[in-house]
Amino acid sequence: MRSFLGVVTFLFTAVASAVSTKGNRLLVLLDDVAQKDGYAKFLGDLTARGYQIVYDTPRSEQLSLFELGERQYDHLLFLPTKVKGLGPKLTPNILIDFVNAEGNILVAQSSTHSASTSIGNFLAELDITLPAGRTGLVVDHFNYDTITASEKHDVLVLDAPEPVRDGVKSFFSPSADAVLALPNTVGHTLGAGHLLTPVLRAPSTAYSYNPKEQFDAVDADDLFAAGKQLSLVSVFQARNSARVTVLGSADMIQDSWIEAKVSRPKGSKVTVANREFAKALTGWTFQELGVLRVNEVEHHLTGDNETNPGIYRVKTDVTYGISISEYAWDSWKPYNLPENDALQLEFSMLSPFHRLDLSPVSVTKDATVFGTSFILPDQHGIFNFRVNYKRPFLSVVDEKHTVSVRHIAHDEWPRSFVISGAWPWISGIGATVTGFVAFCAVWVYSKPTPKAGKAKKTQ
Amino acid sequence: MAPKKNARESANAAPVVAAPALAPVEPAPVVKPAPTKPKASEASTPWDKVLINLYNHYIDETPQRTKLLDVFLVFLAAVGALQFLYCVLAGNYPFNAFLSGFGATVGQFVLTISLRIQTTEANKSEFPQVSPERSFADFIVCSLILHFFCINFIN
Repeated sequence: MRSFLGVVTFLFTAVASAVSTKGNRLLVLLDDVAQKDGYAKFLGDLTARGYQIVYDTPRSEQLSLFELGERQYDHLLFLPTKVKGLGPKLTPNILIDFVNAEGNILVAQSSTHSASTSIGNFLAELDITLPAGRTGLVVDHFNYDTITASEKHDVLVLDAPEPVRDGVKSFFSPSADAVLALPNTVGHTLGAGHLLTPVLRAPSTAYSYNPKEQFDAVDADDLFAAGKQLSLVSVFQARNSARVTVLGSADMIQDSWIEAKVSRPKGSKVTVANREFAKALTGWTFQELGVLRVNEVEHHLTGDNETNPGIYRVKTDVTYGISISEYAWDSWKPYNLPENDALQLEFSMLSPFHRLDLSPVSVTKDATVFGTSFILPDQHGIFNFRVNYKRPFLSVVDEKHTVSVRHIAHDEWPRSFVISGAWPWISGIGATVTGFVAFCAVWVYSKPTPKAGKAKKTQ
Repeated sequence: MAPKKNARESANAAPVVAAPALAPVEPAPVVKPAPTKPKASEASTPWDKVLINLYNHYIDETPQRTKLLDVFLVFLAAVGALQFLYCVLAGNYPFNAFLSGFGATVGQFVLTISLRIQTTEANKSEFPQVSPERSFADFIVCSLILHFFCINFIN
């Protein structure tokens, strides 16, 4: 009976944790729990993927992110709220602690609600800057929806995002010709930190303004940001692989917009791909996508059976292999490198003596083994095999394995008679010794003659 | 100590007796230069005569064992020169082999020179306590140590 229960519990946890690598407890924060009906399709998708959603308001008494020092939730979703501050339970410090404890946060904003100070300060910690007054509206007079926003131009119609640069995995493009609609968008700008990555940037003709204070004209000095510097959706991945996403338009995931039909100026009517985009965005933020796992690391002398020895000799041939899996929605898959990207191995003592590209050696059902062979440097000491793979949208891989490299022992050098260059000198010794023996023999044989004795006497 | 001294004294005694017998041999080189002068006018240069003179003197005056030593020294010099030439031409890898090969020859040369110094009659006064037999035994022991070291070092 007990074992049966155990099996059931195991199966249950297996199913429950299949959704995300980091757990399925999701806390959604909104002004009023009744507001969740506006996001029924979006939240329904999350529930269907296995999340256990808890709805709460910032004012709630029993709200607490931590219980006895442990996270109570794995993920946090902020929907737009009207309150100016989120109260003592959600201070920026607590949110940072939540990220440090590997919790993921998705912040959705809307120009109809100005963001709370807590959120503003929290994002400022990550080097994400919100417009003055923590509110603003992005408009674009060229890429707007002619059906609903022919006058105000505040519903942006954009192509699905492309990777910001080469060699980055594309997680957020539902299909090549997909279109997104972003109503009431708040833009933000990103600092230079390498942990920040823009997912969706405003087109070059867009700009941000404050509809309450700058309703007739935007002074150039007061302009928050315009064009590509304005990000609409951005992600931040901390060094512990916790993820924070800022979604500029919460309205795009509301039921009224998630599958709306829009039309660009001089374009035809198309259905937006907001739902797929929201799925990808939540999937990535809540660690269902782009999570890398190192299964095992193996290094050995080429042609030798001993795995991961603690000591090597200089100038020997070593084979290194690392097995990596990538989590995609519900299972671990073999990891494939994006084009123009390289997984590299460093063999380093203080600084790398080798930095080598690892190439796929074998692929199993759920893992790819990347490997390479190289000759150890002619330098003894304590070295590390290090794979330091930090890429946008992928969780951090930093594997370090320390080994000693010893010098060549005295009896491991090649003998001189093996080296043909030494033969003349060997024969030199031979000639000397032979000459010596012959000389001694003749010397002993040649007894001084009386004549020589006479010669001696004269001198 | 005492027996040794006695032996040397007896050895010393013999030359004293024999000295007059050899006296005519000594002036021979002095005599030869006189005939060289008329010959010098016939020959192209007096250097020939000088060299021949030196050679003859060497042949006549050097004890047989010293000649043997000199032959061995020439042999060692040739072997050492060949090894050094090879090192210059072909490079010194593996260096320990060059060191031990060349060192064996040079060391042997030095030991042989030492033996020659100690056994030359003219130097007798320098080494009053070293008999030729004793110096030869030293020579053998030192050479064996040298060979042992060099063969070890060439690996």
